[in-house]
Amino acid sequence: MELFADYTLRMVALGSATLGLVSGALGSFAVLRGQSLLGDAISHAALPGIALAFLLTGSKVPLVLMLGAALAGWLATLAVMGVTQATRVPYDSALGIALSVFFGVGLVLLTFIQKQPNANQAGLETFLFGQAAALVHQDVLTMAGLGALALLGLAVAWKEFKLLAFDAAFGASLGLPMRRLDVLLTSLLVLAIVIGLQTVGVVLMSAMLVAPAAAARQWTDRLGRMVLLAMFFGATAGMSGAFLSSRVERLPTGPTIVLCVSAIVLVSLLLAPNRGLLWRGVRAWRNGRRLRGEAVLLNLYALAVHHDRRDHPHERGVLDAMSPEGPTGPALRKLAARGLVRQVDATRWALTPQGWHRAAQLARERSIAAGPATDGEAAP
Amino acid sequence: MTPVQLEIQLVAVLVAVACALPGTFLVLRRMAMLSDAISHAILPGIVVGFFLTHDLGSPLLIALAALTGVLTVSLVELLHRTRLVREDAAIGLVFPMLFSLGVILIARYAGDVHLDTDAVLLGELAFVPFDRLLAGGLDLGPRAAWVMGGIVLLNTLFITVFYKELKLAAFDAGLAAALGFAPAVLHYALMGLVSVTAVAAFDAVGSILVVALMIGPPATARLLTDRLPWMIGGGVVLGAMSAVGGYGLAHLLDASIAGSMATMVGVLFGLAVLFAPGRGVVAAARRRAAQRWTFAQQMLAVHLLHHEGTPEEADESAVDHLHAHLRWPPGFARQVVHRAEQQGLVIRLGDRLRLTEAGRALARHSVRA
Amino acid sequence: MAIVGPNGAGKTTFIKALLDLVPRAAGQVRIFGAPYAERRHLVAYVPQRGSVDWDFPTNVLDVVMMGLYGRLGWFRRPGRAERAQAMQALDQVGMTAFATRQISQLSGGQQQRVFLARALVQDAQIYLMDEPFQGVDATTERAIIELLRTLRAQGKTVLVVHHDLQTVPEYFDQVMLLNVYKIASGPVENVFTEDNLRLTYGGRVGFLRTRPKVEG
Repeated sequence: MELFADYTLRMVALGSATLGLVSGALGSFAVLRGQSLLGDAISHAALPGIALAFLLTGSKVPLVLMLGAALAGWLATLAVMGVTQATRVPYDSALGIALSVFFGVGLVLLTFIQKQPNANQAGLETFLFGQAAALVHQDVLTMAGLGALALLGLAVAWKEFKLLAFDAAFGASLGLPMRRLDVLLTSLLVLAIVIGLQTVGVVLMSAMLVAPAAAARQWTDRLGRMVLLAMFFGATAGMSGAFLSSRVERLPTGPTIVLCVSAIVLVSLLLAPNRGLLWRGVRAWRNGRRLRGEAVLLNLYALAVHHDRRDHPHERGVLDAMSPEGPTGPALRKLAARGLVRQVDATRWALTPQGWHRAAQLARERSIAAGPATDGEAAP
Repeated sequence: MTPVQLEIQLVAVLVAVACALPGTFLVLRRMAMLSDAISHAILPGIVVGFFLTHDLGSPLLIALAALTGVLTVSLVELLHRTRLVREDAAIGLVFPMLFSLGVILIARYAGDVHLDTDAVLLGELAFVPFDRLLAGGLDLGPRAAWVMGGIVLLNTLFITVFYKELKLAAFDAGLAAALGFAPAVLHYALMGLVSVTAVAAFDAVGSILVVALMIGPPATARLLTDRLPWMIGGGVVLGAMSAVGGYGLAHLLDASIAGSMATMVGVLFGLAVLFAPGRGVVAAARRRAAQRWTFAQQMLAVHLLHHEGTPEEADESAVDHLHAHLRWPPGFARQVVHRAEQQGLVIRLGDRLRLTEAGRALARHSVRA
Repeated sequence: MAIVGPNGAGKTTFIKALLDLVPRAAGQVRIFGAPYAERRHLVAYVPQRGSVDWDFPTNVLDVVMMGLYGRLGWFRRPGRAERAQAMQALDQVGMTAFATRQISQLSGGQQQRVFLARALVQDAQIYLMDEPFQGVDATTERAIIELLRTLRAQGKTVLVVHHDLQTVPEYFDQVMLLNVYKIASGPVENVFTEDNLRLTYGGRVGFLRTRPKVEG
């Protein structure tokens, strides 16, 4: 019994990891190309393909069902591309229609199959939500084979795909066959989706494309690293989801994997260096503090200039009134600690000689910055 | 047709109408995929509501689930506002997470409640007539009909009252804000409406068909008309047609009603894409072909005008040399000349062409315009 | 040569049609007597800055090297030689200091100069530039003009979609006026007349009367 459980866990973990690797890589391109929801449409659209493949062949061999799914998903993508190019139906509407109509056709076929007297159809519904626990050796092998194919395709035309994602029109002007590359990359995306259907199901598959990529994007500014990181995140989420659901009773694998990957996204959004919200907050706070200090220093400087005396002491009340951010006490104390100002008596403050120099320097910088724009410095 | 069949179709039509109304504005504002997100993400709201009320039709459950829908939209917006992810990615992140939460809740407590994820996703219209609204022992018909009727009324009321605000917001959100129409409030009101409609409808048709009915008929209507009132009306009628036609199809194939309705939505949309007057694929192809001829005739006229009265006129206006001068394939050149003759733009003098007054006017106009 | 015309006149579409990026209703593009498809490598394209996602995870050097992808061929990755070429192009637009900068951290003018460098590495004979002066700072504008002059001195042809009428006589030798149809084209001094401009823009060229001739 123990051995059997281990075998199941091994299969589920391997399958989920494969799925995570492949969907992380292809998902990165989908997210960067603004096709985050295309994955959702493709995975829903795969349903009629699965049903039809079964209906035509009567086989439940994973490769057959996956090929059917891929064909249907691919057809849906072509339909979306065709409709948006030929008519003025917006992209999002075309996606929504393809998603729901293909799914509807799939439902019709599924119920049709169920009514067949001799059909051994049990298991087809698992494609809705996936059933990772039912993964067997053959499934995992098929997934790994197709996954390797998808990753190989990505590696072979790596720089062309990068150009396609960044600036397709320029690529076309170089003479690269951008339309064919587009179809090829989309086909690889379909492949990645098909691999995941058995594990996480059509409804949740899109999360496996979007989430690892969105998380990875926060940590790096290079495409290559982003793709590798997304693969790592995808695989981690897949394995930890599989592990969790095997340890906790009545915890379905697909949704658990999705929650794991969502957690990775959340952490990345908050903590990733540079882009992360936490860092951004800290930076904004530091900036604000620095600017407040500088403002107080400049106010003191303006007053000193006005009174023609560098160390003329001023009431704090006056400084408070000049500062739109309210009380200047904390800022003054910080400046005092840096030796830029000194407290003359209970209520009055004055610039030190260093403070005078720093303030004069700041005033010069500000007047240059406010003058006619010279070279555009880095945008914020 | 039996009363049961009539009742199913009545509910189906009501669902279609209820969905088409807010769906029109989703399509116009390019937020179609939000319907997909909302209809999935309300699942945890439904589950929690069901734990509390043990009744899928309870107003509390509908309110809770609708709130989840609005929460989904706010989360998407919050994520998008950080500028760390794009809007489509934000949608793709939020709704699977909430849906997963719902599925896990159901799985964990499935023993205690009769709530099935398949049912949420797929719905089952065939069961609708069995849940009846009884008042003092009197059978008032299927309860879903009353619920959906109420939603239709609510949606109609909302769109009637806020018609010009919705129209403006769909056309130009910036202007709407400048005029003090609070587009954010309106936006969330619309999203609330979408959520309420999705919750009320999922029980009957499932969340995927909600997407089909919200997007499909309005997008189809959009292909057929340019006027907003017609688009709303068209969406409603096309939705109802999909409902009835879908029911017929389901009956014929003995298959899922919801699936058949979605299929009908797709069929109607496909027909519109191909044959819509003016902007269908066929009309566009025809227009392009016509344009090609018009353009070629203009070119011919300009060419002839350009060389009129010049020494090389004889050579340049020779029918057999046109293809060389204009770089047209000979067959194409012959056809252009033939059409230009028919329309009285040129006349043939021996093997040479001369512009008529009309042809000269066209040439001048082409150069100028 | 400047391509000038009001909004919606089809300037961008004209460039894209030249490049086979949009289908042409009629006509064909010939470059030095041969069809465009055979002479594609002689043409470099600088798209509008707004046409790409500047939050794309890549850096300046990488974008410039994209200009070499066509010549590199399939399967080959850019190597040391390509990096050197890209650095040289960056030097020409004064952007070497930014080579490893993430592209989202560039100002509008810097982005434009990156695009120009990407076209420069192609070492083409004909340059098609779509609104390179749109929303750039003074430094970039000077850099672009400098570049245009260099290219002209090397005997290359540069087609620029332009929208600032006042600078046309100063920056360009030839001009093409476009408003759906070609209104006129030729040397600036012959073509850039008030009559032709009125034909192109309707009545909206009042400022030319107040500033009849820009020096140059």
